[in-house]
Amino acid sequence: MKNLMKTVAAALSALVIGSASQAADWAPPGPVKLMIAFSAGGGADTQARLVAEALEEKLGWQFIPEQVTGKGGLNLAAAIKDEPNDGSVIGMVVTETLGYNMAAANAGMTPDQFTPIVTTAGFQMAVVAASSKGWTSFADVVAAAKAGEDIRFGTMSPKLSDLAYLLGKANDVEFNIVQVRGGRAVMDGVNAGDMDIGFMAGIQRKGVASGDLVNLASALSKPLDQTPEAPTMADLGVDFVADGYFLFIGPADMPEKARTALADAIGSVASDTSTKAGALIDSAFGGATVFKGAELDALVAGGYSSAGALLDAASE
Amino acid sequence: MDVDTGLIEQVRRRVTIGDSLAPTVAAGVIGLGALILLIGGERVPSGSLSGANLWFIALLLVCFAVGFALMRWTGPAAVWVANTFTGQDLDYRPLRDTAPWKYLGFVAGCTFVIAALISAVQGRLTLQALLVGLGASLAMIAVFDWPFDNLLLPPNGDV
Amino acid sequence: MTVFDYIWLGILAVFQGPEAFSLFGVAISMTIVMVLSGFLLGIAVGATPGLAGPMAMAISLPILISVFGFSPDALLPVMGFLIGVMKGATIGGAVPAILFNTPGTPDSYMTTLDGYPMTRAGYAKKALKIAHFSSATGDTFSDIVLILTAPFLALLVEAYLDLPEKTALLIFSLGFIASVVGGSVGKGVISMGLGLLAVFIGTGEDFYPRLSMGTQALAQGFPIATSVLGVLVLGEVFKSLDDLWQDRRNTRETQAPTQAADQSLRWSDIRKLLPYIGRSAVIGTAIGALPGIGSTLAATMGYGSSARRHAAKRPEATQFGQGAAEGIAATEAANSSVSGANMIPVLSLGIPGNAAAVFLILATESIGGFNPGPTVFKFTTDTVNPELVMAFGLFTIMMIANLFNWTIGGAFMRVVGVMARVPKHLLLPVVLMLTLTAIYVQETRLSAMWAAIGFGLLGYLMRRVGMSPLPFVIAFILGDKLEETARQAFAATGGDPWFLFTNPIAAVLVGLTLLVLVLAIRKPTEIKP
Repeated sequence: MKNLMKTVAAALSALVIGSASQAADWAPPGPVKLMIAFSAGGGADTQARLVAEALEEKLGWQFIPEQVTGKGGLNLAAAIKDEPNDGSVIGMVVTETLGYNMAAANAGMTPDQFTPIVTTAGFQMAVVAASSKGWTSFADVVAAAKAGEDIRFGTMSPKLSDLAYLLGKANDVEFNIVQVRGGRAVMDGVNAGDMDIGFMAGIQRKGVASGDLVNLASALSKPLDQTPEAPTMADLGVDFVADGYFLFIGPADMPEKARTALADAIGSVASDTSTKAGALIDSAFGGATVFKGAELDALVAGGYSSAGALLDAASE
Repeated sequence: MDVDTGLIEQVRRRVTIGDSLAPTVAAGVIGLGALILLIGGERVPSGSLSGANLWFIALLLVCFAVGFALMRWTGPAAVWVANTFTGQDLDYRPLRDTAPWKYLGFVAGCTFVIAALISAVQGRLTLQALLVGLGASLAMIAVFDWPFDNLLLPPNGDV
Repeated sequence: MTVFDYIWLGILAVFQGPEAFSLFGVAISMTIVMVLSGFLLGIAVGATPGLAGPMAMAISLPILISVFGFSPDALLPVMGFLIGVMKGATIGGAVPAILFNTPGTPDSYMTTLDGYPMTRAGYAKKALKIAHFSSATGDTFSDIVLILTAPFLALLVEAYLDLPEKTALLIFSLGFIASVVGGSVGKGVISMGLGLLAVFIGTGEDFYPRLSMGTQALAQGFPIATSVLGVLVLGEVFKSLDDLWQDRRNTRETQAPTQAADQSLRWSDIRKLLPYIGRSAVIGTAIGALPGIGSTLAATMGYGSSARRHAAKRPEATQFGQGAAEGIAATEAANSSVSGANMIPVLSLGIPGNAAAVFLILATESIGGFNPGPTVFKFTTDTVNPELVMAFGLFTIMMIANLFNWTIGGAFMRVVGVMARVPKHLLLPVVLMLTLTAIYVQETRLSAMWAAIGFGLLGYLMRRVGMSPLPFVIAFILGDKLEETARQAFAATGGDPWFLFTNPIAAVLVGLTLLVLVLAIRKPTEIKP
């Protein structure tokens, strides 16, 4: 009996150690090239670099960050597609890259050509105005537009432009949609008065807290963390949402071992607020949102397949 | 034209500026410049390109082609040679950030280009040219590589 | 927050930034160390014929960014270094001009005319002292003008310019630069058009990267570093190497003339020089404030105007060209007073006026957190506008650089005379590979190096046919902004195709552009900067 117990215990511990070491004993073959789809110095770029830094410290892996910007992450996608899939090349994009952007670009790329690894954080996408405008709700904007005022709506991607258009359509007004590059440009435009309202993905947090900016609506499927009383897209009559996440990807058919090890490693750093990366995600994006494995596969596939409906709706 | 959208486009029931407009304007600006030159009859002396200039350009390009080829392949070749001696099965790619492998291609290519250009200008091959090339490539390693973990010297981002 | 709070914060940002080391218990901030290193490097680079300030700025930028990273803390040390180089190079250029009759930088050509005769007459050290004094005076004057005018200009711009007007302003700047740079309007316009065409490759709003012909290499567009360094630095190196190759002759050793014992610069000398310095400083500052006209033209104009006056008023004194101290003073005060004033369009409009300013803009763009332009000077009272603090930090940096210039600049100038003896044929190939390596560490693709060589060849050809590469570079930098602003203006006005003409200010700016072009065509300038 004693012997049997021993055997079972040994077998159990072997199982536990075995599964744990399966992830732990994967290590990248040499340095990992980390492609970043965001311009150097911004919040997203900083996040990627801090994650790499934390992993270097924690696991001794080596990362070589590199900027591959432009075309909503599609330039990065095209560049990473044909790289080795052994985990020695990964890239950071947004879920929109493999979703709307890939569907709209029609450039012969599909999400199947990539391995989604893990998400780190979600956007707090909101419709924001400068508080000096005097608007306190989205209804005020609609009222102003109906009264004949030209409303300039700043966006930072074609998908958001479509949403802006649909927001107008659902409320019987027409916005002058001004598409710029990056969330900072929208915020600068709104602050400088070049735009009246605009989509911002979390960058507005400080301004809203200090009272310079005001969140008029949530562009997500759920209310905003910071301004839960603001209406969601569904409340405003639009069936589409701008939920999105920062996403690490690799080339297609990455070995499961490598994918899991990378996902676990990045995910744990992102959710650990004692690391610089985790602290940044916490302060700038309201905490980590980690999707991996089958759950992530479903998220990416859903984003790609629903893009067509939005494209159709926006071209009506 | 190798562009997705025309000069202007109908998007979301609005006319927007397409991707072709800007390059068209740029071409127009070049055309305007040419027109000013043609009808303006400017009396500004203009330079010209001689045959000797073209020879120099050709020489320059050959130097770069040979130098960059050395840069790209010296490292992998050295690993291959080392493998035949040690019997290991190493690959250059995982070694691309490991000394001394990562320096081989850079030193070879950089020294070659510098020495070749100095020799061309001097009209003869000198030891001095080679030493300046070698010294300069070592100095550049000291400036770009030693202090920084994240910088890759040529050709290590390509392999 | 009052204006004075901002100024004070800016000064503190410089002095209390990240600490480099402490001296006798006093913390010396990194920024100050960087200003000093940049300044000394600039003098050395300026004193080396074949090297120029912008080259050193270009090569050190990727290294600086690797050292300091992309955080807002990085801005002041990096800009401090670059501004130091810019200022140092201007005074350094006078060294070989005076000692060896070879201008160290193009803008010190006029210095050779009187500087070298003074050396031959045995007054080399005195000539250097005159150059230094005039240079430092002109530079300081120009910085003061910058600090006094830039904020007001920016506020004016921000108050009156909406998207259509901003588009028109960009068009006006580009048109102005193309018209005034170089001797030929036609070539300037072509150069600008080429720059626009190059920057429109791979960019644009569609998901398909335009004009990329389906290639991965072109899809991301040409990185700014590749094209700017290619055309400005590699083009120049190619041309100089070609010239050396064409007349493979050895450098002749010159005999050093014996020097007089009394080399001191007295107050009575200075009093005689001051009117010339003052006149040139005003000319240089005015020219520096206009985008596109560089320090070389300022030097030429300062020298020319003083020469006429000198001949008329004091026919009995040593005339310009024969070793007149006034000639050195007029040239150096003019070319140095460009460097402060050329920051006026940079800081208030975000438009670079010359090659040095190009790299200052590149630095702010790569680091982020500071977007040169009218929004910088928004005086917010309840919250702190960090960009404004940075702007005053930059002003402080310029003043610190001036302080170094006044105190140790002169002595260091006399030391770097040896740099002028470095043979060009050894130096240029090294500069070439240094530039290519600097590009590679940023882009990590061999194709980027080839692209830079391609731009280098373009720059080489432009120089051979007498076309200034500056409009190309500035168009490349502003092209993207121009397209974006135009698109936004068009969308924001609800698709009004005449947005450039329906707003009075925009219409005036467009009209001015045409006027400048027509005037420049009708009156070709004889002076080639």
